[in-house]
Amino acid sequence: MQCKSCNTELPKHAKVCPKCGAKVSDKGPQNLKVIAIAGAVIAFIGGLLPFVQNTGDVEKAYSFMNIQMPVFWYLYMIALVATILLCVAKKEKLSIITTAIAGVIFAVAFFVSPFAEYAGRQQGKGGTVINKYNNVMLSDLLSNGENGIGMGTFVVIIGLIVAIIGVFFDLLKYFKKEINVDAKYMTNSINKSVWSMVYYYRWFYVMFLPALIFVLLFNYWPMLGLRYAFTSYKITNPYYIGITHFHEMATADIYFWTAFKNTLYLSIIKLILNTGAAVIISLLLHEISNIIFKKTVQTIIYLPHFMSWVVTASLFRLILAPSSSGMVNTFLAEVLGMFGGNPSNGIFFLGDPRYWVGSYFVINVWKDTGWGTILFLATLSGISPELYEAAEIDGANRFNKMRYITLPALTNTIITVFILNLAKVMNLFESVFVLMNDAVYDVSNVLQTFVYYKTFGGGRPDYGYTTAVGLFRSVVSGVLVIICNYASKKVRGRGIV
Amino acid sequence: MSEIVVKKKKKKVKVFPIVNAIVFILISLIILVPMWKVIVDSFDARAGYGMLFWPQVFSINGYKEVVTNAVLYKPFLISVFVTAVGSLLGLTLATLGAYVLIQYEMPGRNFFANMLLFTMIFNGGMIPTYLVMKNLHLLNTLGAVIFPLAINVYNLVLMRNFFEGIPGSLFEAAQIDGCSPMGIFFKIVLPLSKAAIASIGLMFMVTFWNDYTNFKIYINDNSLFNFQIKLRSLVMDNDMPDVGGVDPNTVKNAATIVAILPFMIMYPFLQDYFVQGVNVGAVKE
Repeated sequence: MQCKSCNTELPKHAKVCPKCGAKVSDKGPQNLKVIAIAGAVIAFIGGLLPFVQNTGDVEKAYSFMNIQMPVFWYLYMIALVATILLCVAKKEKLSIITTAIAGVIFAVAFFVSPFAEYAGRQQGKGGTVINKYNNVMLSDLLSNGENGIGMGTFVVIIGLIVAIIGVFFDLLKYFKKEINVDAKYMTNSINKSVWSMVYYYRWFYVMFLPALIFVLLFNYWPMLGLRYAFTSYKITNPYYIGITHFHEMATADIYFWTAFKNTLYLSIIKLILNTGAAVIISLLLHEISNIIFKKTVQTIIYLPHFMSWVVTASLFRLILAPSSSGMVNTFLAEVLGMFGGNPSNGIFFLGDPRYWVGSYFVINVWKDTGWGTILFLATLSGISPELYEAAEIDGANRFNKMRYITLPALTNTIITVFILNLAKVMNLFESVFVLMNDAVYDVSNVLQTFVYYKTFGGGRPDYGYTTAVGLFRSVVSGVLVIICNYASKKVRGRGIV
Repeated sequence: MSEIVVKKKKKKVKVFPIVNAIVFILISLIILVPMWKVIVDSFDARAGYGMLFWPQVFSINGYKEVVTNAVLYKPFLISVFVTAVGSLLGLTLATLGAYVLIQYEMPGRNFFANMLLFTMIFNGGMIPTYLVMKNLHLLNTLGAVIFPLAINVYNLVLMRNFFEGIPGSLFEAAQIDGCSPMGIFFKIVLPLSKAAIASIGLMFMVTFWNDYTNFKIYINDNSLFNFQIKLRSLVMDNDMPDVGGVDPNTVKNAATIVAILPFMIMYPFLQDYFVQGVNVGAVKE
């Protein structure tokens, strides 16, 4: 990397240029390595899919790749792992070789013999259940993906294409820009070999071990469990059924679509309302000049953030109760009574689909708006007072100043907050879960609650189907995060992950 | 307040500051009134009628019931236990992991960092995680609610951001004086990061104290429920234990207050630590 003002080569991770002292922005050329890794990971997952067949007949398990000999499969998986490792180690030049090897192995295996298709289960000798396969031709396979066997193949192909594109771009960049870092700017450790570095940092590996174990157990192991999305898994013995669940989700399950729609609707409207309210409150709060009053107000409006959703729900359940013990209904009844209305019937704010959505948004604004102002207030306090003084001399009034100085200064933060929260749109769960009930199921059911009730709400859990719904949610959510990350880098030069 | 404005700007009294102040008094009331109402009802033996803002018949029986009834105080103790153990574990993981992540020259550092960050983009979701817990035989143990929340990548990255704020020259000086990497961690990083540790520790405590989802999914055993679960079944499902002659509504209100009490007491004193975490998380340059 070069300094923009004096063109000196910069050491790695430099915050300022050692020669001229200019600040170095971290916005280096974007690394497409991520694409290569993602592609390799997808292809790798594709390679793992056959294991969900859970059959004793090991060789049949590889049939999705048309490989009768598992050795092909091993080579393929090793090549992919090597690709990922090489990309991570910034040896893009070598990683294209391994990717190509994986591709070739796959292609060879693909065309070498007729395809096997899963054809249901059969009662074998001695009461054992075995999976039965038919041989099919490639043309059948492409027209026939739903029946199951095609899925792994498609995943692998998509993964390989993405990986090759990623690696290829990285390679181009590598040739375009030869990096020569002047050795004198590097720390002395750069001259040591990798192994002596590993030895030097040995205790750090031990330090990282706990976090590593936890992440592997509770974050990465569940990811392997996503393979159940392609299986029929009712209590025990998952077996491979391909994309049947996704087909069912897309065509047959109206509850799924309602849940998806509700998730988007509830969380996006909530996001807009919360951010809008937080901006308005921050702008007004910024105008308060009495420090003690301002601090007190801040303390009060941050308060609800620390209540759990259960407490918030309980609180509103108690004050929104339709009987005479509910504060809001009593208040409404009195007001109505004043105007000659009929005060006898309380409103079921949380038990009536007509009111539930509105109540949900109000409760969310009540709980999170105050906390949402923190970032905006931090930005506002950074605006130079000189700007306001200059504007005042030019005859700007309070609203002119707000319109032409404060709001533009806030724009970036507003976008940032929006992006940060947009990435979490699909995570909507607890706030809905604690406020929902049977009466408002149709308007309040979101993807996560759908999965929860389908699995734990009594009845026979179908882990396969709910995992498929979960996988759909995870993928949409992951795509959203990546888009938001990209947007965030564009807007403020720093990603969100 | 308005006088100050008058003096400074040498203008006539403005309406805006007064209106603004009134707006914020109203907003504060909107926040406080629901809480106040629940506090009032928790002290009211008759768990009163809608628009009363002072207990009619003052009594502390609701709280007495929460403190003495085993069905209610056991979940509270479980909450305390999970919060204490979980926060300590989480803080340990975050601190150690974050210190490793600032070792930019360590072989494999980028791999570890990407590995952690990837979990923020993609996750296995509810059911596969449940099945993992099942395989690990953690269902119906407190481990199932402590472990998944203890590894919090967001907090770990936050801690890393704090650590990166420590001037690099300090590390170099210590290194030159012959301090080992571990020595640097214990003698320089930790003492300089007290504020960060307090801030992130509080975040963990809030998370563990308020945890409802994990208990709901992984715990099926009455004797292991935490206070949030108990509160929910109390208020929402009217699952009332035998409370003697006390009005169930009073108990509900009292339980709600007890659930928020620990943080309501701590919060005014520690507000800056809470706020700090948010700012470091998002506005880091």
